[in-house]
Amino acid sequence: MRAARTAYPLKWRIMDALEGVAAAIWPARFGRATPYLMLLPAVLLVGLLVLGLIQIADASLRTLDTTTFQFSDDYSIANFRRALTEPLFLVVAQRSLVAALIVTAVTLVFAFPYAYLMVRTRSPGLRKFLLIALFLPFFIGQVVRAYGWLIILGNQGMVNEALGLVGVAPMRLIYNYPAVLFGLVQYMLPFAVLMLAPALTAIPEELEAAAGSLGANWVRTFIHVVLPLARPGFIGAGVVVLTLSLTDFAVPAILGGGSQDFIANAIYDQFFRTSDQGLGAMLALMLVALGSILVGLVFALFGAGTLAMGRSRV
Amino acid sequence: MKRFKPTLSHLSRRTFLQATAALGGASALGLRDAYAQEPEKPAEIIVRAWGGSWVDSLKAGVSDSFTKMTGIAVRHDLTEDNEIQPKVWAAVAQKRVPPIHINWDTTTNATKSALRGVTEDLSDLPNLANVTDLAKPAGLEGFPIVNTYGYVYVLAYRPAAFPDGPPKSWKDLLDPKFKGRLAFYNDGIGFHFPAQVAGGGKLEDIPGNMQPAWDFITKMKAQQPLLGEDPDFTTWFQNGEIDAACTISTNAREARKNGVKIDWVVPEEGAKFDTDGLWIPKGLPENELYWAKQYINHALTKEAQQVWLDGLGLPGVVPGLTPPKDLVGDPSYPTTEADFQRLIRISSKIQVENESEWFSKFKAIMQG
Repeated sequence: MRAARTAYPLKWRIMDALEGVAAAIWPARFGRATPYLMLLPAVLLVGLLVLGLIQIADASLRTLDTTTFQFSDDYSIANFRRALTEPLFLVVAQRSLVAALIVTAVTLVFAFPYAYLMVRTRSPGLRKFLLIALFLPFFIGQVVRAYGWLIILGNQGMVNEALGLVGVAPMRLIYNYPAVLFGLVQYMLPFAVLMLAPALTAIPEELEAAAGSLGANWVRTFIHVVLPLARPGFIGAGVVVLTLSLTDFAVPAILGGGSQDFIANAIYDQFFRTSDQGLGAMLALMLVALGSILVGLVFALFGAGTLAMGRSRV
Repeated sequence: MKRFKPTLSHLSRRTFLQATAALGGASALGLRDAYAQEPEKPAEIIVRAWGGSWVDSLKAGVSDSFTKMTGIAVRHDLTEDNEIQPKVWAAVAQKRVPPIHINWDTTTNATKSALRGVTEDLSDLPNLANVTDLAKPAGLEGFPIVNTYGYVYVLAYRPAAFPDGPPKSWKDLLDPKFKGRLAFYNDGIGFHFPAQVAGGGKLEDIPGNMQPAWDFITKMKAQQPLLGEDPDFTTWFQNGEIDAACTISTNAREARKNGVKIDWVVPEEGAKFDTDGLWIPKGLPENELYWAKQYINHALTKEAQQVWLDGLGLPGVVPGLTPPKDLVGDPSYPTTEADFQRLIRISSKIQVENESEWFSKFKAIMQG
């Protein structure tokens, strides 16, 4: 008897106990519902988001009375009208959208060779180096990185000091639109590489070798084999970079010198400077709508890429 | 409004000892007996404050002596004033206990809370009998806020950039040599009213017709100024990014303490004068409300004001305060009627009712 208990490993007994507990909580007759149970965390997460959006939608239809700083009981589209007609919001919306498109294009151009080298290199040392270089920025927050650029590119920064050594007077390299774009590209690059790498890994190396054996040089192989097969990665990376850039707050605030606000900065101002949460909520909803439309367009035109988890049309 | 000062203010040891000795004496003369009748003391009270030397000055001048007098610890919550506001409003609306006992706030922001009805009435504070008119929030009934000092949005400048002498007018900043070398608050606060005068308009026309201000700000936009918050000004001056700025005199003084060669003036068009204050949100338990009021009452004593405002370099609301040595006769430390005539003061009520529109206009010009 004692020998039998010893022969029955502890791990098995723990597993039996866990199975017993699981059976008590979720009996076998509920088995058909188990797949739906797996959805529960996602449903809860999305449900909370939707609840928040409903509250934001409610607030967006109420106007602020600046004699009492209370919101109206009635609904109106006054905030919607202000958001669409005030030049400030049109300027920041246009700036955000253009920046998101430029940043996405530039980031993908820079991210592709990095991801390709990381996936294809035969040197484990180089791959590790590229991986470390990729993940290192994730340990440094966006705000710290943006402040780092202030130190490097400022009037008394390293770049201007280096220029001074060759007789070039200090020049304003930050607090302008290009500085914001630069900061965003630098911030987005790791995200794009991470989204591209799986797509590139999925391209069999033999295809490139076959193209070469059929006489294609590396340019033709790249254009006709690698790029088309990497399209899901481009789409996934593009969508992620586009939406993150469009909604960014810190980089425009820090590198823009106060004159290069994005929509998120305008929303912050309404919530926390003018106390007009109704208008802030309306701007937030419009930002969500703009982002959703853009992503919807990309999905409609090109499919969902790597975000479709292998089910996209290629 | 963000306020952060990177170094400690150098409070006068003598002033601090005088203040604490006076408080000790007052305590011995009977305040302790009076407090024996008081409601139950909370373990601590929470005061929202700005960081850096702002909170250091408050701690040295008001909080430490309050703790010594009452035994109640004071915790300083450094959440931004703009960001604590919605939390307090939500707590009051939901009938929850607010997250702070006392809000150290700009009068403009505090007025919004007062108009919304989330502030306790402070009219019964005994020390209000000893304060100047500056303590009373303009345009509001009673004392939903107590102003505790004033400050001026001066024209701060690097003397090296003005070799012909200090700037006399805000218009001097339109000189092309200052292109990209100027700074303003990112919502234009402090600059709207002087711009109205510099643009050829009248202060009496505020808020009805501020077109002169917008025209002048449009001209200033061509100078491509930087736009930021309090800490940015100090950093920009220190890093040589700017030659001049419209900023609170305290920030300029702090930059000077940090070794930056900087000076400031009140230009001929005038400079905006404003106030900060203390207020208590509704919804506190009775005993905590009582002690929060005692804290504000204590902040209105001459001794507490002297130490607190020596650190900030700002004029208080209690008569007879001694200006810091470096600010005697300084236009940013107004003490006489003549000093105040050079400054522009607009009612907080008018400011809060129009602030959203002014901010939007300023931003639309600067972001365009």
